[in-house]
Amino acid sequence: MPHEPAPEHRDLVIQLARLGDLVQTLPAIESLQEAYPERSLDVLCAAPLTGVLAAVRGIDRVIPWDGAQWRTWATRWQENPAATLQVMQHYLASLGDTMYEQVYPLNQHERSHLMTQLFLSHSSREQEQARIAARMHPWAQHLRHVARERGANRVHLADVWCGMCGVLPRGQAPSRVPPAVELPEDLAGIGKRHGLWVAVATGAGEADRCVAPVVWSQWIREFLAQTQDGQVVLIGSGTERETARAMLDSVPTLLHGRVWDATGRTNLSQLMLVLHKCDWVIGADTGPLHLGTLVGTRALGWYFSRARLHETGPYGEGHWVYQHATQTQPQQWPIKESIDLMCGDRVRSATDWSLWRSRMDRWGAYFDDGSGTQAVEHSRADIWRACAPALCESIAA
Amino acid sequence: MNIFQDNLDRLASRHQDLATAAKPAAGGVLTVEPARTGVPSARRSGRWIHSAYDPLREAQTWADTHAPACRSGEMVVVAGVGLLYHVEALRRKLAPDVSLAVLIPNLDEFHDALAARPLEAWSEAILWLPGAPAEIAATLTKIGRPLRCLSYAPAVAWDTDFHRALEEALRRDMSRQAGGQLTIALVGPIYGGSLPIARYVKRALETLGHTVQWIDHSVHAASYDAMGTLKDQRNRQMMQGRMAEVLSQWTLATLAESPPDLVLSMAQAPMTLPVLEHLRKKKFLTAMWFVENYRHLTYWQQLASGYEFWFVFQQGACLDAFRQAGARQVSYLPMAADPDLHCPMSITDEDRHRFGSDVSFVGAGYANRRRLFPSLLRQPWSFKLWGNEWDGADELRSVLQLNGARIDTATCMKVFNATTINVNLHSTTGVGLDPQADFVNPRTFELAACGAFQLVDHRSELHRFFTEQEMVSFKDFGDVPGLVHRWLNDSAARQAMADAARARVLSEHTYVHRMRELLGHIGLSQPDRVGSVLRGERQQESLLNRCTDDRPLEALLRDCPSGQRIELKDVAARIRSKGSTATLKREELMVLMLDEYRSETRDLL
Repeated sequence: MPHEPAPEHRDLVIQLARLGDLVQTLPAIESLQEAYPERSLDVLCAAPLTGVLAAVRGIDRVIPWDGAQWRTWATRWQENPAATLQVMQHYLASLGDTMYEQVYPLNQHERSHLMTQLFLSHSSREQEQARIAARMHPWAQHLRHVARERGANRVHLADVWCGMCGVLPRGQAPSRVPPAVELPEDLAGIGKRHGLWVAVATGAGEADRCVAPVVWSQWIREFLAQTQDGQVVLIGSGTERETARAMLDSVPTLLHGRVWDATGRTNLSQLMLVLHKCDWVIGADTGPLHLGTLVGTRALGWYFSRARLHETGPYGEGHWVYQHATQTQPQQWPIKESIDLMCGDRVRSATDWSLWRSRMDRWGAYFDDGSGTQAVEHSRADIWRACAPALCESIAA
Repeated sequence: MNIFQDNLDRLASRHQDLATAAKPAAGGVLTVEPARTGVPSARRSGRWIHSAYDPLREAQTWADTHAPACRSGEMVVVAGVGLLYHVEALRRKLAPDVSLAVLIPNLDEFHDALAARPLEAWSEAILWLPGAPAEIAATLTKIGRPLRCLSYAPAVAWDTDFHRALEEALRRDMSRQAGGQLTIALVGPIYGGSLPIARYVKRALETLGHTVQWIDHSVHAASYDAMGTLKDQRNRQMMQGRMAEVLSQWTLATLAESPPDLVLSMAQAPMTLPVLEHLRKKKFLTAMWFVENYRHLTYWQQLASGYEFWFVFQQGACLDAFRQAGARQVSYLPMAADPDLHCPMSITDEDRHRFGSDVSFVGAGYANRRRLFPSLLRQPWSFKLWGNEWDGADELRSVLQLNGARIDTATCMKVFNATTINVNLHSTTGVGLDPQADFVNPRTFELAACGAFQLVDHRSELHRFFTEQEMVSFKDFGDVPGLVHRWLNDSAARQAMADAARARVLSEHTYVHRMRELLGHIGLSQPDRVGSVLRGERQQESLLNRCTDDRPLEALLRDCPSGQRIELKDVAARIRSKGSTATLKREELMVLMLDEYRSETRDLL
């Protein structure tokens, strides 16, 4: 019989946000595992994203949270509250009904707060809630300040989550071997031919962060023209199929053999495999960029609108981000520049866009535009000292 | 094999009386002919009731359309018999815990159905309902299950009176039983005649125990009027149109604060079609009581598809016009009186001198009134004219009171009560009596509720509300002087008639009666939403009865105020009131979690 750790040795990380955020939680999970090797760690995340954590070593159990189901129950309650309450209880029981001594809620909303209470063991609930509040409060304040001021913050969100869990970043990016899954037959050839393979994330989670299909079409045409053996893989959800089709139509027929349309054709595990087979992933959608970095693919982001590289840039060493100068929709795009960078020809910024390279140090990930790293490290150290003084003292000791 | 006899035997095992009655029925209502697929199909009066090609497939499609809405525990009542293909398909599609009843308005048609094709085992699970509408309604009410009424349109056209009578009876029964508390958002107009009616409706709904969120747009009337002073017509219309749009959004924002069970708009409420469509998408139930003559004010044509329910005070052509314009459900709901306001009152001598006269009229100076009222001058009785918009009616200036000022309700009541004979002449833009006299104005009910005697121009629907012993009407305005002469000199008969009319209003024609009817209609159409609230299924007692084995839930419900309707948000609010530091039980946390998801689904803006 498998050993079931006693409640006092089980901890739970709660991350209910989207794909990119879940991937960015991995540094905190790894730091927790390193800090508390004797404890067992479970992670609760949105049900459709459990595949991201399936291959992560050290996670004892991934708990799927079915938000859609809860929405249905919310409308059914009035018809039969007793039956609804009963089915909710069964649902929670089906999740394992485990009570945890320590819970790490990483979302700043009421649902996350309620889940913390639902999963904390009764004996430690009050004490642990106070500990969570003390640990998280300074970081939550810091995030609110960043959101409000959009100032010169240089602490990455993944590292903030480490802080919220009461651990320091490990100083290296998480890395995973993609799950051993089959790709659809017509996509099985991805990554097998010699050449520079680039995955293009065609969409974005929010409309104001989407790059127009005509821009991507131009990027693809120029990339294929510049690289004799370059290959492009279009990635995205089912809703982006039409966009991908439009892009493909704009590419000369002779080049169609070098563009692979995987939009709406892969599940999460298959997407990880596709990304793993590519050398680069480019896009404005942070989710696929983060997923790409996780499976060892280099990422190049186009960050504009509200996206800010210092908080949500690709985590790790050697990734690149073009950050637009303003929050307005860009009029020009770093097409030529990003192709040159991928081909290793030239590294340069573009009009209205600054270029940043990701790096790692003891405070986690940060981005460098070549203007000096000393001041950056100081500012990050200051934030850590302000938000987690006890942790910083332990390092000094 | 004798299909008819076999079917009778099968029917007799559960419905002996019906089998006995159907056996000697003459039949001959349906003409049965084979469809292309070979199975029997049927025509009635030359029109196909089932598909001439494939009746089975057609019935399946009908059942597939309607079955998903049917809920566990409901009694589904099907109107339309034909050869019962649709009933068979629906019965096979429904879960066993959904009951199915079929109305039988015509035994001859049923006889034809029994003779045409074999009824199989499915028919034994049908509740057959022959008889008079009132008896059927009583049977269904006694069963006590939530009712969901479905109509197989091709087969109901010949029995419309039967189905209308049954629907009315069911609505009445539902109204009588209604014990639950609805939350109703009442959207009023910026100004106009429907504004006071909105207030009467509010009071009626509250009298019935419902909670009313009064979205009062009359507070914006001054701004709206100010825009009306713009001389350029295009600018004026544009600004007033924009303001109506903003107020429509304002309504949306108000609804988002606390979503009601029903959004009830009164005529002229500033609600745009996009906002109504948005509300529909967000699963809000919307209804409009259009208390206007549909021939004069025609904006309903643009909004017809926006509301889920329309209620109008005209019948016949009006109902057809609304349906043709895209109204999903349109029903007749006549005007009424509010006896709290429209009531007999003692009049001081001073007021009687000021407001009283032998004959009077209160109202605006429409063309027909300007033309007809001069015949009431120079008579051996006194005549007073009250109201506004009489500019240019020089001949009537001598009898016009208060310089033609608009009359408020309190003054109006004094005039009604102090006048011996009130003339009630419906307005038209023509010169004589209303040629399309198909509605009864609120004034008729208000005067009657005051116990005031009135002479009203004849209306085609008047007989529905008052007998000849309760109301005097005239078809020719030339008869009015003679009628005045006759009734002025017979105070006892006048008083008897006025008393009888008032008693009739109190017993049948108040806004409380109308609101009961309106909610009964909506409840019948929405058995699992408004219907379940009206049946009291959301009341604390009912919820407690249904959770006998669930101690934690029982504790949560008992914690809420007794005798009240309890919603998820109420239970959640109760739990939250314990404070942020309270240690909550597992089920309390689950309820709070559920409430978080509930509030997300109502993200209106």
